[in-house]
Amino acid sequence: MKNFCCLLLCLLLATAGLAQSRKTPKLPKFNKNKEKNVFLKKQWWLAFKAGPNLSGAKVIRSYSAISPTNYEPTVIAKKYRNYKDLGAQATLEATFYFTGLSLSLQPTYRHNRFGYTNNYSWTDSENPENANNRLELKYVQQQKVEYFDLPILAKYEKMYNKISPYIQAGIYTSFLINANKSVDVSGVDYASGGENQFKNERIIVGASDLFAKKHWGLLGGAGIYLNQGNVRFNLDIMYKQSMSNIASTKNRFGSDRLSGVGDTMDDMKLSSVSITAGCLFPLRFLGRNFRSTDINK
Amino acid sequence: MKKIIYLFVFICTLAVLSSCSEKSDPDYDSQNFTSIYDNDQFSAATTPIDFKQTADGGYIVLGERRLDGPNFRGVYLLKTDKFGKFEKALEMDVQYVHPVGDLINVGNLYYFFCMNASDQQAQLVSVDAATLTATVIPVTGGITYPSAASQDGNSLLLLSFNHVDKLSMVSRHDVSGALSGMDEPRKFSIGAGDEVDEPIMNHFLRTGKRFPFQVGRIPGGLYYFNGFENYTFSLVFTDLADDGADGVVNGQQENGGFSAVYPLGGNKFAASRFNFGDNYFLPNVNLSTTGTSMSELMGGNTLPELVSNAPVRIIKAVVKKKNVVVYASDTRSKQIGLFFYDEATGKFLGSRYLGFSNPFEVAGVMQTTDNGLAVCGTTYLAGRFPRICIIKLSEEESGTVIK
Repeated sequence: MKNFCCLLLCLLLATAGLAQSRKTPKLPKFNKNKEKNVFLKKQWWLAFKAGPNLSGAKVIRSYSAISPTNYEPTVIAKKYRNYKDLGAQATLEATFYFTGLSLSLQPTYRHNRFGYTNNYSWTDSENPENANNRLELKYVQQQKVEYFDLPILAKYEKMYNKISPYIQAGIYTSFLINANKSVDVSGVDYASGGENQFKNERIIVGASDLFAKKHWGLLGGAGIYLNQGNVRFNLDIMYKQSMSNIASTKNRFGSDRLSGVGDTMDDMKLSSVSITAGCLFPLRFLGRNFRSTDINK
Repeated sequence: MKKIIYLFVFICTLAVLSSCSEKSDPDYDSQNFTSIYDNDQFSAATTPIDFKQTADGGYIVLGERRLDGPNFRGVYLLKTDKFGKFEKALEMDVQYVHPVGDLINVGNLYYFFCMNASDQQAQLVSVDAATLTATVIPVTGGITYPSAASQDGNSLLLLSFNHVDKLSMVSRHDVSGALSGMDEPRKFSIGAGDEVDEPIMNHFLRTGKRFPFQVGRIPGGLYYFNGFENYTFSLVFTDLADDGADGVVNGQQENGGFSAVYPLGGNKFAASRFNFGDNYFLPNVNLSTTGTSMSELMGGNTLPELVSNAPVRIIKAVVKKKNVVVYASDTRSKQIGLFFYDEATGKFLGSRYLGFSNPFEVAGVMQTTDNGLAVCGTTYLAGRFPRICIIKLSEEESGTVIK
């Protein structure tokens, strides 16, 4: 993970450095008459953007290590806590612009957090005289996954003065970098002579084997460019929806520590909403007079 | 043209990505699973004794359950599908108590012995796994306190205890409960005196040490039982032609003896023994089936990680194309330990520990029809409620254990 961040930072700095390295810029010939020059309708942009995300899981098929014999499985069903836990992501974007349309490759490091809870209860309902024989447990599971995404997007933008709103949509594939899972078990024991509230030590396990090594999905969103000088600042909101299962079907019960307490992974699709802000640098037409607003003139 | 190119790129990418995605596979779900069969009653306690794989790929578990009234444990049967999901359970009438393994498959039915709570007479029970219905069949021969059973072709071998005459008894029955090939059970004296049967009764009442009673037959050869004979917990060999032993491997009264034996052919056995709490595995040992010998002189691999006088289950299996002997037992860390040995040489091949977070105890292990391993045991949900569990390992996963 550290290596990946370093690589990302180096790439960004190198790109920014190259982009600004001309000490005495000369106006390129093809930049002298912007209105007539068709090359101005094409541009490469390199960007770095980052921001927070919120994740949710959509269960394809639910699994549990606990198989009830005298009550309905729905009693102990997992309740997902969607779009509550904040994650983060950072993207290096390379976009080719041509007459309002862009094709964009946006390699992204993504960190998602999502979780669920379930409850168990044991009572002595068949022996009402033992009403104090009761134990309630609450399991709170949280999953943290890190992905390297390779999305390819088509983008359409329209310029209004210095502001360019855009919409984008595409497809991505994700490679699992790392995952871990934690389980907090707390409860109330009424049988030990009083209302004994307790909380067990958190179970934390490396869970990379429990997740699919890769998955794919669709993404789309909208954003806005603020054109300033020959750079552009952007703010966008993006929705990602995995179209394939993110859990490992083969290693579902691969963690003894989790299955020992009755927990196992569902087959699920992961969605996330992210808001990112960043800066785009042009890779062509770096003459002094070039402005990012030129591309739409 | 540009739009067509975009569309083409998009479709190609979509096709490539979808082809390499993770897909649900029912085979994986049946090859690897952990299932814990919970009951939401605080006072419920179910523990397995033995289990078998059924024709539909599922599992039938013979277990016992805690009863409010009688001193003995009741009979509990559980059926799962091939994914380990609960299908049905049967709590037999409290009149029938103390079920003993093995759970035996003859034809389309499963058989086990239990006893009548009022007169302690042994009863044979046949079970239809498809409907999970049980039929009680009286056992002839005046047999009380069934201790262990096994299959001998289409017959059933039964080790039992005669509380009145202080006898270990071995009998062979057909599936109608009648004695098969013998007029009466073969008798083996456990010795005179009131105190000699005290630990045995404590075993039946679950108030003391549980003894690893066992009965079986060396394929095509002598019969054997692991039980009390002449004041000592012993491995006794007999041809069942008459009363008394042909050969005995003595233990140390109730403090030593074999915890499990599995005949490998001839006089060769995979065995484990206990001695004053210590446990030893003998994956390739020759036992004298005549005369008298002592188990405590047989050495073996020391396993200090196992609980005192650990219950042990031994099976033969083929793992990674090797004929192996698999030992399953309980560890001090409250896990189920699987230990793999080469069948031919007794060489240690690897181990695997199952269960974590809550305590786990072994009841049975088997090789499944998909060449994986299934382990049935007890886990204590929330650290306190005994519940039946099945842990299934795929062929691939169990193969990773072998070095």
